[in-house]
Amino acid sequence: MAEAAARNHQAGESYELRKVAKRGTYRAPPFLPLWALIGGVAAVVLIGAYPYYGSNAYVLSLLGKFLCFAIFALSIDLIWGFAGILSLGQAVYFGIGAYFVALSLKINYALTHPTRYGGKFPDFMEWNGLTELPHFMTPLISTPFAIFCALLVPTLLGLLFGVITFKRHIYGVYCAVITLAESLILQELIIEYQAYTGGFNGITDYSNYATPGFLWFILAVVVIFLVIARALTHSRVGTVLKSIRDNDVRAEFMGYNVANYRIFVFCVSAFMAAAAGALYAAWVGIVSFLDAGPVFSIEGVIWTAVGGRGTLIGPFIGTFLVKGAEFFLSGALAFWWQIIVGGLFIFVVLVLRDGIVGSIGNWLRKRKKGASVRQMIEDSDQKAHDRQLDWSPGGPPSVDEPVR
Amino acid sequence: MASLLEVKGLIARASGFTILNNLDFNIEENELRVLLGPNGAGKTTLISMITGQFKPVAGSIHFAGRDITNWPPDDIFQAGISRKFQVPNMYETLSVFDNIMVSLQGRRRVFATLFQRLSSEERDRIWEILEFVELTDRASDPADSLSHGERQWLELGMLIASNPKLLLLDEPTTGMTEDGKRKTAELIRRIAKTHTVLLVEHDMHIVRQIGQRITVLHQGQTLADGPMSEVMNNEMVRRVYLGKGKFQ
Repeated sequence: MAEAAARNHQAGESYELRKVAKRGTYRAPPFLPLWALIGGVAAVVLIGAYPYYGSNAYVLSLLGKFLCFAIFALSIDLIWGFAGILSLGQAVYFGIGAYFVALSLKINYALTHPTRYGGKFPDFMEWNGLTELPHFMTPLISTPFAIFCALLVPTLLGLLFGVITFKRHIYGVYCAVITLAESLILQELIIEYQAYTGGFNGITDYSNYATPGFLWFILAVVVIFLVIARALTHSRVGTVLKSIRDNDVRAEFMGYNVANYRIFVFCVSAFMAAAAGALYAAWVGIVSFLDAGPVFSIEGVIWTAVGGRGTLIGPFIGTFLVKGAEFFLSGALAFWWQIIVGGLFIFVVLVLRDGIVGSIGNWLRKRKKGASVRQMIEDSDQKAHDRQLDWSPGGPPSVDEPVR
Repeated sequence: MASLLEVKGLIARASGFTILNNLDFNIEENELRVLLGPNGAGKTTLISMITGQFKPVAGSIHFAGRDITNWPPDDIFQAGISRKFQVPNMYETLSVFDNIMVSLQGRRRVFATLFQRLSSEERDRIWEILEFVELTDRASDPADSLSHGERQWLELGMLIASNPKLLLLDEPTTGMTEDGKRKTAELIRRIAKTHTVLLVEHDMHIVRQIGQRITVLHQGQTLADGPMSEVMNNEMVRRVYLGKGKFQ
């Protein structure tokens, strides 16, 4: 080594001028692996063709609902799995999107279905003492405008949230607590202003769109969002986001404005959650304060964790498994269901840290290298242990404490 | 000509302690400078101040003719200063290749990186760097599967990839085997041919191997400054270090 360096030195050669003698092999992962293409097409066909082979309207309504929930989980995965931002208030964006669409549909429904006293405005407003549609709500008569608001307002809110937290270097646990508070506040506001929001009862009794055609529309949105999410996480921005997730201090000292990247991905995620909410309101025909609350937010986090954060297919598998099990089992196990879901989350955190999809991926990768199952579990434990040591409340530690 | 980096009257305090006490410090272009000093002398603090992690109480830092005092870390990086942390500090779950890729010199704004593709020049550059730090065979592996020494070299590679005007290396040989240390010292010497380097180092073998101009810090001030042999024979330096047995 020293001799070689001396030779280089004599030749006046710098490493900049050296020819690359040996190029290693690096295969970037493909944009769309074959298994994902086959599985994706199969899933789309299976769900999309349900109206042709199934006749159960309840199952049809569940399918649309699950797809909306899955988009919601995808939006959580995008910020949590790929950028390391844990939000416990993602339902805020879902809820606002849902309320805009539900209000608009309700107002339009009331135009053709007068209330008991002949008022042509939503019945819950009448019950709460209003005599006409509030002026600030009249633009919502136009459904396209309401959809526009349903998508834009949450995105701007996400931008605002990002600017006031990430720009001030607030992330990690503090950020999670702030998002939790955010959804509590929204929930309280909805209940408090029941003349405009329906309060505890939510907004019901309007014409919803539970038709096969709308199911296909939701499916199309799912596919588009998946492609967008894949393009995003597969691009250079995605690599930068993952590097910020892994080590934000290093990324900052590599010249990346960490706050701006976090704000960007947070806005994209808020947009997706809002779209999911808008579709959900139009599909099920009932929106309530629970759809904007912390419990729903945390449920989304659990679906993502169970399916596998940091993978795009994980949120879908997690949502369909947990939500599906809930609809089939909660009848028989009504009292125990919440406890079972909580237990499932603890199990995933303790044993399947990367969720179902992530763990299968790890297993396949390590099996190629001939590691035994026992070894894999030990590796996983060791890694979790190491990360625990690294943990600090403000996110990853600054390794460079002042030395005295 | 003005120095590349000029630190004037820098004062740093933390929890009541004065860490840097009216420190003046210059680095010329294309210099390889070694920063020595016992624990608590303020070496790491100086680097943190230069890179914008901590704000000084008083004093100024000029780099390439610009006043960079109180700039945020990412802007200071853009101005041309990269730092290596004491503990290897990279992106654990990314592949070695991606670690270098993210560090490449280039535009750093969100919407600039959104549609950016890896050009063939960039690809060549990555392989060149991987070869330089001898990690070609590990390109596809996640960075957290590397050994401690390999991680240090990967981070060196990342710094070179960003092609800075000034490299700040904070004890890059910490926790390495003797072989690893020698290899790292060689890498640093080769990097120093094309870059200005400030090296913080404890290990006297490494300092001897690199053997350039040395600055000794003690209690936040410059104790000695000059070529290797001169500083080694300085009475004050010997006294500060003798208790630690570093010069034996």
